[in-house]
Amino acid sequence: MHKTLRISFSLKNTYRVNGILFSLKQIPLLKRLLPAALYKAKGLKIFANIVSVLWEVVSAFLGKFLYFVTMVCGVGILYKELPENAVFLHILLILTVIGSFMNTHLFNPTKDKYYAMILMKMDAREYTLVNYFYSILKGAIGFLPFTILFGMDRGVPLWFCLLLPLCIAGMKLTYAAITLWDYEKRGFGYNENKLSKHVWGCIALLLGVAYVPPAFGFVLPAVVPMGIFLACIPLGMASITRLTTFRDYYAINKELLAGLTNQMDSTARAQLVKQVNEKKISTDTSITSSRKGFEYLNELFVKRHKRILWNSTKKISYVCVFLIAAVLVGIYLLPEGKPAINEIVMTWLPYFVFIMYAINRGTNFTQALFMNCDHSLLTYSFYKQPSFILRLFQIRLREIMKINAVPALVIGGGLALILFATGGTENPLNYVVLIVSILCMSLFFSIHYLTIYYLLQPYNAGTELKGGTYRIVLAATYAACFALMQLRMPIMIFGIMTIVFCVVYSIVASILVYRLAPKTFRLRT
Amino acid sequence: MKFVIEHLSKSFEKKQVLRDINFTFEEGKIYGLLGRNGAGKTTLFNCLNRDLKVNNGNFYIEDESGVRREVVANDIGYVLSTPTVPEFLTGREFLKFFMDINEKSIQNPKSIDAYFDSMSIDPEDRDKLLKDYSHGMKNKMQMLINIIAQPNILLLDEPLTSLDVVVAEEMKQLLRSLKRDRITIFSTHILDLALDLCDEIVLLHHGELEVVEKTDLDSKEFKDRIIAALREEENA
Repeated sequence: MHKTLRISFSLKNTYRVNGILFSLKQIPLLKRLLPAALYKAKGLKIFANIVSVLWEVVSAFLGKFLYFVTMVCGVGILYKELPENAVFLHILLILTVIGSFMNTHLFNPTKDKYYAMILMKMDAREYTLVNYFYSILKGAIGFLPFTILFGMDRGVPLWFCLLLPLCIAGMKLTYAAITLWDYEKRGFGYNENKLSKHVWGCIALLLGVAYVPPAFGFVLPAVVPMGIFLACIPLGMASITRLTTFRDYYAINKELLAGLTNQMDSTARAQLVKQVNEKKISTDTSITSSRKGFEYLNELFVKRHKRILWNSTKKISYVCVFLIAAVLVGIYLLPEGKPAINEIVMTWLPYFVFIMYAINRGTNFTQALFMNCDHSLLTYSFYKQPSFILRLFQIRLREIMKINAVPALVIGGGLALILFATGGTENPLNYVVLIVSILCMSLFFSIHYLTIYYLLQPYNAGTELKGGTYRIVLAATYAACFALMQLRMPIMIFGIMTIVFCVVYSIVASILVYRLAPKTFRLRT
Repeated sequence: MKFVIEHLSKSFEKKQVLRDINFTFEEGKIYGLLGRNGAGKTTLFNCLNRDLKVNNGNFYIEDESGVRREVVANDIGYVLSTPTVPEFLTGREFLKFFMDINEKSIQNPKSIDAYFDSMSIDPEDRDKLLKDYSHGMKNKMQMLINIIAQPNILLLDEPLTSLDVVVAEEMKQLLRSLKRDRITIFSTHILDLALDLCDEIVLLHHGELEVVEKTDLDSKEFKDRIIAALREEENA
């Protein structure tokens, strides 16, 4: 038993450490500094090991702390009129019930289980039980300081605070035993990451029971949760026998981990992404094109990917029209809200950078382009001739700009309309700047995504996403848009800044693409 | 026409895969490129196709009068072991697109159906989306695209692996019929296939290319020599 625990630890540790080293290797600049024999380097290994052990300790307590601070006590503060101890125990009991089937460990398909039992053929029963009891113990130890700290603060007696972790463990054990019994009866494997609709319904219902009644002044008297909690201790102990005598751990795990094979193997995962993308191709045989050359290729591509390109942009536009209409109706019904809305439209333009970012189809377009078109055509040398690459870039840019411009015009026009309806502005130029800058944002994202796709072409021949820089640029784009959400600025200033930025960016991007794309637009190897 | 590689080298970080490739390939021959797993055959092809940047060295085409010129994209046809075709097009559309954009460089173009006929692709398959083609048919399609433009150099990276015997035989016949006026370099792990199809056997080991002379050996002795040469790597 001791040996199994040690092996599973060192296994988990090894892949955690290698995971840390692998992510270090993904950072473009750091990549050059790190040796090729990275996984052999002692110093780094020790560093990663320390991080990994620290994580094991921290994770035992941090999660529980956050859980108490937010879900149990944080929300509990809202119910001031009720006895503190009763609210605390009421919420904790219901959340523990939810946790007992949402956070089981036993039915959580994790990588370490896959490595140990499926790949390395460790004894399934022993491995599962040792790790399961370890996780229960870790959970109980993690709970202890906080049941005492928060429990006593809420007026729960110390003896009960001390027993609470055991009660929680007992409830988890009981649920696990019931699930195993159910498996034997019906042969139904439970997977906590793939909950059925019914289970989700139960969770919603239980959350309601936890938080709604206290809001109306009703809470279980403290003795009730205490009684139920205490009953979990003998139940849990009885369940241990059930768990240890259960024989079919291998079968249960085999079923549980079946879906993991595809996620584990990066080639298989890439294959899956590829298949998903192939499904996006319309099989409508009436689609044809009367154009020639690259226009022919492009037209067929756009028509056969209508579902992910035009249809979704149309849907977004309809939603925008609906929202704008709703705001206009709102203004009509509640005229007193006009100044506030006028103020918002006048100063919240930076916020729309994020909205334009969120509705942009650029990444979908480039992904489909790669998966269903460039992935294959880039293996043909005729396709890689510089003049052809640039010609196609122009056509594609035009196409994605058109697709993104529709919702942009709707939003820009709608905002101008709202501005007008809420009392307008002294400077009529504001309307123009508003519409043009929203359009510019949309153009910017169109150019941006296509440019980084052409300059950093991040996929390899196996359709795996390899480019670290590409990922960083995407993340930075998100961060920048998110940061702009916090900014408030008058339309005129921000709008003009946006337009100027967009123009400058387009020029720079075009120059870069013309200079570099013939060299960079290649399959990664 | 000759295809000359001089002092070509390529390394990944510290690992030197191609050390010093020097070789002259001659027109009209099929070269069988043999090497052990990881010897760098695909790397060599990727370098020649300019998918990878070389660290050093050069390669060019030399015509009969000895004039050298740079290799351009149109000179090379590269057929991969896993065929890749644009899934959203039909076979006919792919061919039309290819012929459209290469109309200047394709000499004596035939009709699309004539090309399909030459590859024995059935009429009912010609207007199906390529994503629904079988492996063998995708392979034929890829080969067809690569030979229509009549490239001077045809690189084939294990193209016959995983084809059924009938298609493989058709492909072999096709390659034999195509070898005139061009240089065909054929990488494979199957020794018998190389001996059956190729005019010259070239080994890639220690990051260098070297030809195995057949001279007056019978095929058994020739095989043994190739294996011995490749095995020697272990002891080196």
